[in-house]
Amino acid sequence: MDLDLARQAQDGDESAFAEIVRRYSPRVFSVASRFFRQRSLVEEAAQEVFLKAYTQLGSFEGRGSFEGWLTRIATNTCLNMIRGAKRRPESTVSDLTNDEQNWLEQQSGDGSERLSVENNLVAADLADRLLSVLPPEDQQALLMIDGEDASIKEVAEATGWSESKVKVRAFRARRKLREAMENLLGHNSKKADSLAGEQVNR
Amino acid sequence: MKEKHIIEVLDNGSISSLSEIELNEVRDHARECESCRGAYEAARVSMLVIRSRAASTIEPSPFFQTRVMAALREQQAVESVPAILRLWRSSRALVSSMAVTTAALAVLSFFITAPATPAAPEQTASVFSADSVIMGQAGEEMSYEQVLSTIYEEDEAR
Repeated sequence: MDLDLARQAQDGDESAFAEIVRRYSPRVFSVASRFFRQRSLVEEAAQEVFLKAYTQLGSFEGRGSFEGWLTRIATNTCLNMIRGAKRRPESTVSDLTNDEQNWLEQQSGDGSERLSVENNLVAADLADRLLSVLPPEDQQALLMIDGEDASIKEVAEATGWSESKVKVRAFRARRKLREAMENLLGHNSKKADSLAGEQVNR
Repeated sequence: MKEKHIIEVLDNGSISSLSEIELNEVRDHARECESCRGAYEAARVSMLVIRSRAASTIEPSPFFQTRVMAALREQQAVESVPAILRLWRSSRALVSSMAVTTAALAVLSFFITAPATPAAPEQTASVFSADSVIMGQAGEEMSYEQVLSTIYEEDEAR
């Protein structure tokens, strides 16, 4: 079915390609959302993905799924866009917003793993801040495995990396993220202690 | 696992991938080991932020398909034009302005003469003879320098 659509689109059938765009936009947006949070950037990346896919339709031979083929194009396109853009400077604890600090304080010692919508946004912002210090490939591996419960094999297929490379990237990213979080939590609790001390002294 | 530190377990996979038994062992160890407690807390909160980040996806807008198809048509239109024509189109303004400037410079260099300079005394003096100058026939058309040069030139010629 997908192969037929791909062939029709390759032969210049616009409606066939429009159907591909309609069918796979959610998937491509989901991949692009891993890399970008601004709607404009996600849309730009997704459009780029479909334009690339159109020019490469001939290389889709129907061995794997069309979605997998498109996911790989999407991943590589987003990685290239990220590499081309300037990386943000490393975040520090002092960069945290009040919301993020409050959220971290709430999490310390709180075993609950359910978050409200508002807290989810704060947590996602915090994740971006922490992930920005990692290479984009490591971010990708961690978000897919720990964030979406993807298997090593699925990540390897989506990215075109070997399974051992995926494992190494995920391990490295997880450790860096944990260490950064440990620093944040430690820093935050010290800050909270000193604030409490100041209030007692007053 | 009580005797063994759990940091490696935490870095090897997400906490959510641990079984209930493994998770209990990790928690038991974390309660007793201070260094592992911090690592466990950090891993737990990291998992929460990563899951929140993974969940924050953006849905395609209803106009996205139209936008892509328009971009595709535009791309095809660009690709259908020969490369030399595309090059000409992109550099047309620059080339035209350069051609106009060159033509203007050529016209200026050919048709605009040097600004008029005051006539040299000897050129004007040659119109009149020394006699006519002395007799006052040249009138007031000649300057003092022209009168002098006309008289001396004739003297030298003799």
